[in-house]
Amino acid sequence: MKRNTLLIADDVLINRELLKDIFEGKFNILEASNGEEAIQILDEKKDEIVLLFLDLIMPKKDGLEVMKHMVLNGMMDTIPVIMITGEATVESDVKAYELGASDIIYKPFEPAVVTRRTQNIIELFEHRISIENELEIRTQELYESKKKLEQSNDFLINALSSVVEFRSLESGEHIQRVKKFTKIILRHWKVLHTEDQLTDEQIELMVNASALHDIGKIAIPDSILLKPGKLTEEEYAEMKKHTIYGCKMLENFKQEENEFYRYCYNICRYHHERYDGRGYPDGLKGDAIPICAQVVSVADVYDALVSKRVYKNSFTIEDAIRMIHDGECGIFSPKLLECFDDAKEDLIEATEKEQQTMKE
Amino acid sequence: MIKQLYQNIEGDYETAISRMQNDERIQKYLKFFLADESYMQLKNAIEMNDCDSAFRAAHTLKGVCQNMAFSSLSKVVEEITEELRAKNFEKAVEIFPEVVEKYEIVVNEIKKVI
Repeated sequence: MKRNTLLIADDVLINRELLKDIFEGKFNILEASNGEEAIQILDEKKDEIVLLFLDLIMPKKDGLEVMKHMVLNGMMDTIPVIMITGEATVESDVKAYELGASDIIYKPFEPAVVTRRTQNIIELFEHRISIENELEIRTQELYESKKKLEQSNDFLINALSSVVEFRSLESGEHIQRVKKFTKIILRHWKVLHTEDQLTDEQIELMVNASALHDIGKIAIPDSILLKPGKLTEEEYAEMKKHTIYGCKMLENFKQEENEFYRYCYNICRYHHERYDGRGYPDGLKGDAIPICAQVVSVADVYDALVSKRVYKNSFTIEDAIRMIHDGECGIFSPKLLECFDDAKEDLIEATEKEQQTMKE
Repeated sequence: MIKQLYQNIEGDYETAISRMQNDERIQKYLKFFLADESYMQLKNAIEMNDCDSAFRAAHTLKGVCQNMAFSSLSKVVEEITEELRAKNFEKAVEIFPEVVEKYEIVVNEIKKVI
């Protein structure tokens, strides 16, 4: 519905009538003879009113109070105000504009000028409102297509990462659990280490990247990957190369500027590094190991401990946490262990939930 | 008839007709003018020594007179408005009889034509 009502707020009948005569027939016209009335009409008909003529000096509430009410109730963006004033002084003009008036007209009214100015302002506002509406629709559309993209992204990453699991006959849920634990630890990291300025979006990207940590295992021959017994030294050396193979695969689609690519690469390559420098493949030491890889590393180890595998039974949650702390399953940075502790309750809760669904 | 009235009160008929379109309209506004209370408010405020109220009333009356194109009355009302704005109340009281005189001429002339 097109708004087509003018509100004229002036305590002097003659002033109202003059404006009314100018716009009669072109607009539906409402009148207020004081500020209180104006506010009441604005509240009731704000969706119909297309412009307000406002006198500053009025009994009961004055023009200033009417404008304040409009500002407080968010009407100034949709209803332009034309101030009616007796004289043109720089001070009063500046004041009117400061209050948010769109224009000022001076008494005596010149019909042609008043008409043109009014039309211009109404058009300007209608134009702005329609642009804003359009923008809102576009934003919504963008948001929806972004959501769709994210969903297909998730799907692709999950499908890709499950390829390895499928082949190695491991339980398909390992990757989902590593993602879950990685997310929990990173969220605690964000709060504990605000100096890193980790954003939720970055966490989301790291969590997705964690799904690909073992993608390089696709290049490991069946004889090694599926071998039931203990690996020979040579075989183990080959197995370790899955970190390198993963990176090689990713490098084919290198996007150096892309944050997600960087996380994927770092996680694939460094999730078997150790804080004491005795990990592989590069023997990185201390904080030279990227945080995302450190977090995935501990999440990976933790999940291995609490889950049942073909070759081993699961440990209890308490034992798993203790073993990680005692350095029985790799050496982690003190900062990471502190964070792991901080996340303990959330981790336990998530693990119990997982084990519950496994039973069912 | 209306033109004669504007001559008698030293008003600007040309402006009035361009603003209000025709004599019937002007006649309608002349009635509104008689009903307007700002003159009485100004008179009361002057009698009560209330400078602020006098200023507001004078300011309103000025706008009305300008809209009606009552040039002569407009002029003295404008003068008294400025004195009141500057809080020169005594000066305003001095001018006021002139306002009364011009206003009464206008009212008398209007009563003849409506």
